[in-house]
Amino acid sequence: MTITEAPQATRRLTTSKAMVEAIAQEMDRDPSVFYLGEDVGAYGGIFSSTTGLLERFGPQRIIDTPISETAFIGLGIGAAVEGMRPIVEVMFTDFMGVCLDQIYNHMAKIHFESGGNVKVPMVLTMAAGGGYSDGAQHSQCLWGTFAHLPGMKVVVPSTPADAKGLMTSAIRDDNPVVYIFHKGVMGLPWMVKNPRSIDEVPDGEHTVPIGEARVAREGSDVTVVTLSLSVHHALDVAESLAPQGIDVEVVDLRSLVPLDRDAIVASVAKTGRLVVVDEDYLSYGVSAEVVASVTDRDPTLLRVPPQRIAVPDVPIPYAHDLEHAVLPRHDRIERAVRTAMGR
Amino acid sequence: MTDVLFPALSEENPDAEGVLATWFVTEGSAVTADQLLAEVQVDKVSAEVLAPSAGVVHLLVEEEAAVPQGTPVARIE
Repeated sequence: MTITEAPQATRRLTTSKAMVEAIAQEMDRDPSVFYLGEDVGAYGGIFSSTTGLLERFGPQRIIDTPISETAFIGLGIGAAVEGMRPIVEVMFTDFMGVCLDQIYNHMAKIHFESGGNVKVPMVLTMAAGGGYSDGAQHSQCLWGTFAHLPGMKVVVPSTPADAKGLMTSAIRDDNPVVYIFHKGVMGLPWMVKNPRSIDEVPDGEHTVPIGEARVAREGSDVTVVTLSLSVHHALDVAESLAPQGIDVEVVDLRSLVPLDRDAIVASVAKTGRLVVVDEDYLSYGVSAEVVASVTDRDPTLLRVPPQRIAVPDVPIPYAHDLEHAVLPRHDRIERAVRTAMGR
Repeated sequence: MTDVLFPALSEENPDAEGVLATWFVTEGSAVTADQLLAEVQVDKVSAEVLAPSAGVVHLLVEEEAAVPQGTPVARIE
């Protein structure tokens, strides 16, 4: 059997391979960059965030740590304060509870408390998100919590190219940057298949500025502001509604801190309709912040009430059907877009 | 012309079947030596398949297809 398709130039990678490529390139370029965390060495990261790096850079720069997040985040902070550029992995965002003091009282506040004299140029990577029955303590996003606490940048890539570009920018940034990757965008063969997790990635040096949203799809009727895996769902919905004459614009935030409020307002100024899709919890979070970004500036831009599609303030169920019922998936996004359009 | 084989991921079972999880190239595209062509999987173990030489690649197996290891999955001309 031969598959016939038009030839095209390709240099495609999964999101995980793109992320690893950025780390490897920065480690080649700068000897002060190193990576530490649980199972990041021989295992290559349980979600393939470090595959092949131990073989290439050795155990001095790719460091497997014991299961003590407080200790090894503290190690990273100390190294950063002394001029290194560590990348520290917390296996799941869900585990922030055991080490939050190091993150928000130390990593995020040293620059402030030293009157700007001490920098903490570290990257804190974490896997996030649900959809694959991993239960309430291994499926949360929690990016809104990090974005709420001042002193750290927060980036959340959705595509392979952005995963590479934002990682490069995060490593080079003199501020602490929390880099959160959703397991569902990594392109892992054993996870839920996601065709949007494999795409073209620029060769060589590639940076994406932290704090700039991206219009993932242009449209004129409804703005969907979203991030991470939900960008992929929103694009699926946009493509399915296009033949019915509903033209959806999808804005991928890419970065929560700084938040690109201008891009949100610009899109809503064009469409007059806003749907926010966020896989984090509904209340006190990203979705409300996005709405406020519009209403603070000019509430008259909205021709219909804004809608927020998020996890409805319950722990994420293990049971497949229940989990899919609370996650912001295609059915809920489509309903919200139709409500905004009155059809 | 070079055949690209599904790698032997299972040592204890030479006839093990695997899945062509992901194609990173499309039919008829030009590839360089060592370029990533595919990711394959046997049980929970995955491996990368690299181009053994430069040329034009022809895909012989569809994504998601299950094939015995050792089967040619692509041909480079």
